[in-house]
Amino acid sequence: MDPIRRSLLGQLARLSAGAALVPLSSVANAGINQQPPRREGDPTKRYGMLIDLRQCIGCQACTVSCHIENAAPLGSFRTTVAQYEVEHQETGEVATFMLPRLCNHCENPPCVPVCPVEATFQRQDGIVVVDSDRCVGCAYCVNACPYDARFINERTQTADKCTFCAHRLEAGLLPACVESCVGGARIIGDMRDPESQISRMIAEHGDALMVLQPEKNTMPQVFYLGMDERFVTRPQAEPVALDVLDPHGKEMGYEFHH
Amino acid sequence: MNSTIELLAPRYDIAWYPWAVQYFFMIALSYATLWLAAPALVFGKQKWLPTARLALLACLATTLVAPVALLADLHQPLRFWHFYAYANSHSWMSVGSLILPLYVVGVIVLAWLAWRPALQANRQAPGIAGFIARWLSLGDSPTPRALLVLVGLCTLALSTGIMLYTGAEVAIVKARPLWNTVWLPPMFVATGFIAAAGLILVLNPVTGERSTVVSGQMLKVMLGACLVAGLVAGSWFLDGINADVGSVAAAMQSVRGSAEWRSTALWGGLTGLALFGAVLYLLSRPAPRRPALYAWTWVLGLVALHVGWMFRWVVLMDVQTVARHSAGFHHYGIPAGSSGILGIVGTFGLWLAAILLIDLFVPWRQARQGGSAADLSPVTPAPAHPAAQSAAENSEGTPSHG
Repeated sequence: MDPIRRSLLGQLARLSAGAALVPLSSVANAGINQQPPRREGDPTKRYGMLIDLRQCIGCQACTVSCHIENAAPLGSFRTTVAQYEVEHQETGEVATFMLPRLCNHCENPPCVPVCPVEATFQRQDGIVVVDSDRCVGCAYCVNACPYDARFINERTQTADKCTFCAHRLEAGLLPACVESCVGGARIIGDMRDPESQISRMIAEHGDALMVLQPEKNTMPQVFYLGMDERFVTRPQAEPVALDVLDPHGKEMGYEFHH
Repeated sequence: MNSTIELLAPRYDIAWYPWAVQYFFMIALSYATLWLAAPALVFGKQKWLPTARLALLACLATTLVAPVALLADLHQPLRFWHFYAYANSHSWMSVGSLILPLYVVGVIVLAWLAWRPALQANRQAPGIAGFIARWLSLGDSPTPRALLVLVGLCTLALSTGIMLYTGAEVAIVKARPLWNTVWLPPMFVATGFIAAAGLILVLNPVTGERSTVVSGQMLKVMLGACLVAGLVAGSWFLDGINADVGSVAAAMQSVRGSAEWRSTALWGGLTGLALFGAVLYLLSRPAPRRPALYAWTWVLGLVALHVGWMFRWVVLMDVQTVARHSAGFHHYGIPAGSSGILGIVGTFGLWLAAILLIDLFVPWRQARQGGSAADLSPVTPAPAHPAAQSAAENSEGTPSHG
């Protein structure tokens, strides 16, 4: 659209009635939708994860081990690896891109303030957890997360998500996904400890690290190394998987469009 | 430019079920009909009394059903008391959970005050109707007009809280750009008023009132609400095509190229325009022709209800199918069970039951602005003002209701 038309339409938008409503939105977001105080956890630590995409082969070992460790219901995932086929339009060269996804344990988690009963909260070590005894299953947090990191667990009927395997960290073990990663692509650690591997890698790679959807101002604490910036936001990709149903309408599997 | 195909990504289910649509629809009808009942009941405008009677009936029925739908949308409905045991002032939903019960009580008390003189007049009626009238009217004392006004004003104030929280609750969700806009709360309110005016246009002939005055007033309300809705939708759209950044632009980007979304937008726009055009046409007819034309306004009422409900369906259900960090759109088929069709039908069934029960046992046609049973007595000579006269006429037509 040419600039003159654009600015004319801009003036029209500004003239229209509801411009007075704009200040209200800042009240809605800032005044009420603020982060409640963090509780529990070790205040001397701040856990984060760095995923070295150069090492990821898309084997889904993390997906499977997480699924077993945390007993998620079939079809729901606390972590998973999305896979994309990228074709260069001129050369026809094809590459596969792997994107491991999990909760980003954001510094400004949008899922926490929305919880009407403070069942989901951020611990002082940065890990975002859900108290499933308190959760009412309103699913507001599931909608508030831009990363699809949360789901309603069909067995407990409460919100469920990645906890960085807090129960394993407390026992001195690594999270299941980190433990099982064949390429050593997932690195977890305390970012307040300058000697930890994650702190050293953050210092080393600095600007090369990327996070998902930074424009949402959630300040994710899962950092990607070797990331393609086209996958930082919702990928402009063609979905190909189609459900294959049996005569009774039950899902049998997928087939591809092409 | 490369072309990319998503080979593998999980399917993400929707998190809010059609119960949410039912709640947002019912509560919008509730607050909008409350405001349509207010001119006569609270601010004393006699000309609005016939409208107020229908509006109060609709308001109480929707107010009673809305919280049921809301409760059903929780995956752990029996834990609803956690809302009060662990209230979180940082959450709009928690704020809403504090406003909603107060609002429901306010509406119930307001309806009781408005219906009390008529209930008192029915105390001597035979059978169950008289029993209920004696039991519900709580004595013979007159109902002070000031008390009705006070309760009305408080409930109106609480209803603005409902408008604000239902809108803000959805509009602050940054994860969904189609929700994250300041234009959403006013659009909920505007479409709520369109639907509420539509509901009264439907109730007007269904209850046998068939008042041309009511139809005329509701057409005017609908015209205003359509104008506001058009302005809000237009501003949102202009905001979106003017900015490369920002949530409206992101929202439009997220559904660009989807044939379904294009046809949804077209359908919404055309239905809104058709409704607006029809209302304008009816209002501009010469007075002698109006009664014949206004007999058909219930059709417009159904269209208006469709607009109000579909807007909420598209906003709350369809938007959840727009993928957030994967490609394309998630599939959603409405299940047959209680989280789908049965829930939708059940909510409307419950609403119908509520309205029938009120119609059976409460002389809602004689709702008035306070006073005592003596004011209703048919033996008094013809009252001076027309509204009281219509009340007296109505009382003759209601023996079947007690």
